[in-house]
Amino acid sequence: MNTKLINKKLALLTAGVVAAAGLALVPTNASAAPVCATANYIETCGGVTSDGGKYATMVPANFNGTMFIYSHGYRPNQDLTFAGYTVSMITNNPAPAPMPGGATDKGVITYLLSNGYGIAGSAYKTQGWNAQEAVAADVELIKTFKEKYPNTKKVIAWGESLGGFITQALAEQHPELVSAAGIISPALGDVRAELQNAGDALWGLKTFFDPTIKGHGYSAGAAGDGEALLDLQKIIVVLTALKSAISTNVWPDSSGPAGKALAAIPPRSALLLVGLMAGVPTKSAHFDSTTGPGSKNSAAYTSFATAGAPALAVLENIAESAKLAVLGTRDLEARTGGAFYDNTKTDYAARLADDLTTYNAALSGNTAIKGMLAFINPANPAAPRFKGDAAAMDKLAGFMKNTGKINVPTVSLHGTADPSVPAGNTQWLADQYAPQWEAAKAAAVAKAAATGKWVAAKPMFTPLWNNPPTSYTKFFSDGTPDASGAPVTGTNHYNYTADQLNALAQILVNATKNGNVQADATFRALGRKAGGIVDSSFRAPLLAFYQK
Amino acid sequence: MKMKRGHKRLLVASVAAGALVASALPANAETGVSATEIKLGITLPMTGAAAPGYNKLPGAMQAYFDYVNSNGGVNGRKIKLVVKDDGYLPTLAVAKTNELILKDKVFAVVGALGTANNKAVARSVDLGRRGVPSLFINTGYSGFADSQKYPTTYPLFPSYIMEAKIMGQYIKDNFAGKKLGLIYQDDDFGTDAQAGFAAAGIKFDVSVPYASGSQSATTAAGWIGKLKAAGVEVAIMFGVTSATGAALATSAALAYKPQWILGSVGGDATTLKALGVPAAILAGAQGASFLPSPGDATDEYVKQFTDIYTKAVPGSAFDNNVLVGMNTAMLTVQALRAAGKNLTRASLMNAISSQGAKWASASFSPISYSASSHVGYSGYWFGTYNLSGVMLPAGGKYSIYTTDSGSGAISKSTYMRPAMPAKGLPNN
Repeated sequence: MNTKLINKKLALLTAGVVAAAGLALVPTNASAAPVCATANYIETCGGVTSDGGKYATMVPANFNGTMFIYSHGYRPNQDLTFAGYTVSMITNNPAPAPMPGGATDKGVITYLLSNGYGIAGSAYKTQGWNAQEAVAADVELIKTFKEKYPNTKKVIAWGESLGGFITQALAEQHPELVSAAGIISPALGDVRAELQNAGDALWGLKTFFDPTIKGHGYSAGAAGDGEALLDLQKIIVVLTALKSAISTNVWPDSSGPAGKALAAIPPRSALLLVGLMAGVPTKSAHFDSTTGPGSKNSAAYTSFATAGAPALAVLENIAESAKLAVLGTRDLEARTGGAFYDNTKTDYAARLADDLTTYNAALSGNTAIKGMLAFINPANPAAPRFKGDAAAMDKLAGFMKNTGKINVPTVSLHGTADPSVPAGNTQWLADQYAPQWEAAKAAAVAKAAATGKWVAAKPMFTPLWNNPPTSYTKFFSDGTPDASGAPVTGTNHYNYTADQLNALAQILVNATKNGNVQADATFRALGRKAGGIVDSSFRAPLLAFYQK
Repeated sequence: MKMKRGHKRLLVASVAAGALVASALPANAETGVSATEIKLGITLPMTGAAAPGYNKLPGAMQAYFDYVNSNGGVNGRKIKLVVKDDGYLPTLAVAKTNELILKDKVFAVVGALGTANNKAVARSVDLGRRGVPSLFINTGYSGFADSQKYPTTYPLFPSYIMEAKIMGQYIKDNFAGKKLGLIYQDDDFGTDAQAGFAAAGIKFDVSVPYASGSQSATTAAGWIGKLKAAGVEVAIMFGVTSATGAALATSAALAYKPQWILGSVGGDATTLKALGVPAAILAGAQGASFLPSPGDATDEYVKQFTDIYTKAVPGSAFDNNVLVGMNTAMLTVQALRAAGKNLTRASLMNAISSQGAKWASASFSPISYSASSHVGYSGYWFGTYNLSGVMLPAGGKYSIYTTDSGSGAISKSTYMRPAMPAKGLPNN
């Protein structure tokens, strides 16, 4: 594995690179009239909602009456201070549209404006898990936009990641304001689902590879920020050590009791187990878990594809998602007032039952699996479970949830190997919608029976699954894997180009015209351009929180 | 009033039918079935460590399907087999099965190989919910007989529990008091074996697990070292062919000569010899099988299949894998015939449940398919390999012992298999 990968993650972390619009707008006092300027036939406005959050709008001279309101994804809510250094993490710039390639990627903005659409987006007052205030800000922004542009006829809400949650919540709570919704790599349902995955991963890394990782229960204030930053540094160190351990089979020095008790088991198997415990995909940006170097009939090929690749994929995916796991936990502990993650009663063996068969070889067989599961048994004092704070857990349980009700035509675009916000989020919504769809079909039959006129029900929700190819791992001539290329489609979080999101925008515009998201030929063609396919028989695994 | 109600019911029925037609395939059509063709698919290791021997299965199946096709096909339809290489990786088996279903649009999967692979496919591809039949899978994992959990999966082989139970009894009858050693694949395959041996009351002096895919000359040296150090006199190998080959070749190299007993999964002599196993160490080894010996030219099934295969694939040895493949293909043809001209996935599975137990098959073991059972074969015979690699039945004749995957007794079978249909063409 190329060391650049880990270095890159570290660079991303320390630089505090987070999606930011970077639009030069002049904020005004809360609820004051926006400050606007027109250039190249586009009016750009900056303003502040009543809660103090900054927003931006852009409207072309040939505005066609349809506006897109965009909800951005998760941004850290704390600067991190450690050993006298502060890493700036907070970004409060509004994002009126997706910029999938970063602040300089104006491909979506250009496309929408040049086609006559208006765009708008808020930065929100605070960052982190800000769903409640974000929905309110979006409602206010739509009202403000319509007041300024009274010829607005349709509003398309869209958002990525946390913004997908916000968008879904907006459509659930205010269907009168929204004509169609697009959710991109969305976190959906109950925030505890995502946080449970994060907690499982952090606890697993701590238990197997570095008992000094805190993982939860961060202190209040700056001290907690420092603890979170230190955790991130430790995770990077552990992952770097594990990268070497995958070939040497030697446990990292930091491993503590697990390294001694499980020394006969390759650490790559324990890493894979952690990934499976936490719902981490076994396909990653560069590792497909099916390919090896050289001839397919060589021992090296079989060994890599069978044993090494799944662990490398998990390693790469954890490196990709660790920042969100740690900072999300830190943020929500601050919001709930304590540690909310609790795995004292988690039965990992039961949860993993099927995975233990599928990945039996990579986990080094049943004997090794039994050894690892015995180590993480709650009765083992060397592997203490995390105990949550009851008040914090109760408070988190009361946070805003998506109901799963589909009120407006909705499309979800989700990578099936998304390590940060797994595709099981979209599967959850699909499952929530299923009875609604069955009822719609039954109602169509009943209506036809009553009127004698047959009008087929049309779906209001369709997921577009963005699948990675079956095989894509590349190797250098010496047989070592090459992890230097761009992440493969369907992997990583929110891994889309502007062109792909523009295709999704076209789908959403069509949805406002059709009043549904029936997967006809046009829909499917645009879906493929967006990177997704319609496959009603596909099921992404639900997040552990939702599994019964 | 009554007329109106009746009218309404009629309308509801026609509307419902309309909805079905609108959202489904054209009337009377089934995925993978046209007026002239039935498309089937198989996933198995065509490359990689587990491929040797098993990679002959699709060729053998296709040889038999081609033979049937050249004799009119099944109800006028030719059978086409789409082959996907899964490298014995469960995750790849899932991807390739999805390809078979979504891209190739096969009617059914036939002969998919591997316990972990079939389990992963059943779960992730969700064959049951999709209603896609998976026929005569190449694995003996006992769990696949659970028709609630695997409603569209039809195992054919006797379960590994059955095999180990019957083998355990054979060991007690023939090697009482000897030091026993077991090498097994450390997954569900091996778990079944251990359960079967335990049910038979067999305790091993040493047991050596190996993780699937880890088999090599290097790892085999470790296995053999453990057996040798423990003074094992009777060594049982319960692994895939490549692992069996590695064990036997290493045993020969280290001049370690216990009485070897080979499980059916890894016991194909042609493949073992191709993997470098010396004839001298294979000769005298004992093994179990539910099919006749592929070297038994007197067996009517072997004779007919050999005739078809050697014409279709000249120069390729007729071995146990070929026999398994052709036997699977012949059962498939009977299932397709029994499902009728209006072939559907549902009619295919109904045919297996209602008629499968009566079909012609090379095995000396009965088939137990019924409306409530997905259990295929249930019996084994034992034999000894000669210097040519032919496994000859103990006592000069096939004595079949049957049992179940639970606590049922082991008994000598009186089952008489149906005669090979004339010219090897099913007439059911």
